[in-house]
Amino acid sequence: MKSQINSQISESLSIANALNQAMHQIMQSDPSVIMIGEDLIGENLATGAELGGVFGVSHGLAKAFGRNRVIETPISETAFVGMGIGAAMTGLKPIVEIMFCDFMAVCFDQIINQAAKIRALSGATPDKQIPMPLVIRTTIGAGDGSGAMHSQSLHGLLMQIPGLVIACPSNAGDAAGLLKAAVASEDVVILMEHKGLYETRFPVEASLPIVPLGKGTLVQKGHDITIIALSAMIPLAISAAEALKAEGYTMDVIDPRTVSPLDMDMILNSLHKTGRLIVVDEGAAIAGFADHVIAEVSSRAFDALKCAPRKITPPHCLVPYAPALEAAYLPTQANIIQTVKGMIHES
Amino acid sequence: MKIDELRILLSECFFYRAFEDEISRLAQRGETPGLVHLSRGAEVFEAALMTALDLSVDHMTGSHRSHVLALASGADPVAVAGEILGRNCGLSGGVAGTQHLLSYDTGFLCSNGIVGAQVPIAAGAALSAKINKTGGIGVAVMGDGATNQGAVLETMNMAVSLDLPLFFIVENNGFAQSTTTSNAGGAVSVVARARGFGLVADQTDGSEVRAFYPVLMRLIDYVRSQQKPAFLEVSVPRLGGHYEGDGEIYRTQTPLIDPLDLLSDLADQAEIEGISDIQSMAEHKALSAIQTALKSPKAEPNAKS
Ligand SMILES: Cc1ncc(C[n+]2csc(CCOP(=O)(O)OP(=O)(O)O)c2C)c(N)n1
Repeated sequence: MKSQINSQISESLSIANALNQAMHQIMQSDPSVIMIGEDLIGENLATGAELGGVFGVSHGLAKAFGRNRVIETPISETAFVGMGIGAAMTGLKPIVEIMFCDFMAVCFDQIINQAAKIRALSGATPDKQIPMPLVIRTTIGAGDGSGAMHSQSLHGLLMQIPGLVIACPSNAGDAAGLLKAAVASEDVVILMEHKGLYETRFPVEASLPIVPLGKGTLVQKGHDITIIALSAMIPLAISAAEALKAEGYTMDVIDPRTVSPLDMDMILNSLHKTGRLIVVDEGAAIAGFADHVIAEVSSRAFDALKCAPRKITPPHCLVPYAPALEAAYLPTQANIIQTVKGMIHES
Repeated sequence: MKIDELRILLSECFFYRAFEDEISRLAQRGETPGLVHLSRGAEVFEAALMTALDLSVDHMTGSHRSHVLALASGADPVAVAGEILGRNCGLSGGVAGTQHLLSYDTGFLCSNGIVGAQVPIAAGAALSAKINKTGGIGVAVMGDGATNQGAVLETMNMAVSLDLPLFFIVENNGFAQSTTTSNAGGAVSVVARARGFGLVADQTDGSEVRAFYPVLMRLIDYVRSQQKPAFLEVSVPRLGGHYEGDGEIYRTQTPLIDPLDLLSDLADQAEIEGISDIQSMAEHKALSAIQTALKSPKAEPNAKS
């Protein structure tokens, strides 16, 4: 990234704040950008105060840009996602918010058959295809007792569908930067934000520079193991890596940021150095992001592997409600440390 | 409604209110794992609904806001409280939680984290009743916001086209989260929309038992005897936030009438004696159920309940 040379870490922002600031910048600079979703405003007509989205991400946007551009909808996901697609085909750049990714299930046709396919159906080669500047923002993640239908992490399911770019930011700068890249993209981009990270503050560059889609970042450098993690699993992986450093083990921690397309070059480069792979993911235990990375690495760099790759994911069951059950469901720092040690001892 | 029925209704409503009030206090103290959506304001209607149904053959589904429906279906209050609190004694051992109450044995098939999703499921119960000739009906309880979901609109049409004994109930509390019903609903009222699908439909005041009870009985009788769907919109206040802890920044200050006060007044007028005793007994029952639930262990991995 060109701006990294004189990058100025001048602020500490939460993901919710960073997205809100980025949204203000984006809507200011491009009048074709609109927002669509439920409870985006929540205005008190007597006092003028507003909710600004259930996580506060859209706060102030309606005041700044008007209700023509910040469109609060009925609870009609199929209709408003479809409307976003049509608007994206006819001159607007919609950012559509689906409150929780679990609710994508009610509008899956518009996402996987329509949004994902129309661009590719419009021409045999990319130069002949129409642009589809649609962004869908949604939330993922367990940990707050929301239960089975408000806690899933469905990025693995979505990454199986060609035609969708899927990003899962782990910090405020990436969230804002990926949003900017998403709005500028001619592909459908789905930004999946972890609810458990919204309020954490992260140091950011004040200008919230764009973050390229499809490019990972090496969060920590080491020798013994490559850990691939996403979203809320990044802070977990970092804390595990730090604990292990004290015992003399070091690792590459890679945050791919975008799961589709996936930065396999960065992953393979690291693997050729370390020879050991762990994928830590809050998504599916079966045929999800973790299995995909392991399959790619196993088939493309088998010779480099010193031992079988491992995945650390929740078990193949619904997200349970009670706190101890939910905690047992989620990957932990101890899981990572134990897996790392096991792998190093066996090879 | 007879005096005895009124007394029982009053006692049940006091019980539900005390139950929700105590859950509210526990939520404020962080004792509920997730956000709870309370039924305060809908108790009178929901309690009366249960007296009008026959849950030995009828089946019902509800929304995210279903604590009272589950209780009123006859589910063990300790198990309902236990589920909301994530305890072993919960309806589902603490796995499901406040938004996903299932009380199969009492005819309450599910409440739901997905707005509107419970509605087609109730159509399935209506289909079973029809094919198996059980004499039962399906009942789908939802909020006004749910009437904007595709699944709900599809079910409204399908119930008419398949002649399902399905009773749609929309509790209109004026809000879907922070969005007002009038903002979301377009130009046509919910009940006018239902009529557009060919449903027999009515609208009534869910705060006032004398107003809604005859309408409720008539429509349930219609669904059962004609084996056809019907639709009822009841207005009920949402006496509190969308969930417990919601600051309700969006709500303008309009005084709300508490249906439970209206019911107490009615009981007074009917010269029911010992209303305060009825209330304190109901409150005691609610608190002791919740206390019992709190004594049950928190759900743990592999715990045997
Ligand atoms: C498909 C879907 N979209 C959005 C939500 C988030 N959500 C939960 S409750 C709610 C409002 C529901 O309003 P209403 O149906 O009127 O019921 P009320 O809460 O007023 O009882 C919303 C938007 C959801 N759970 N499911």
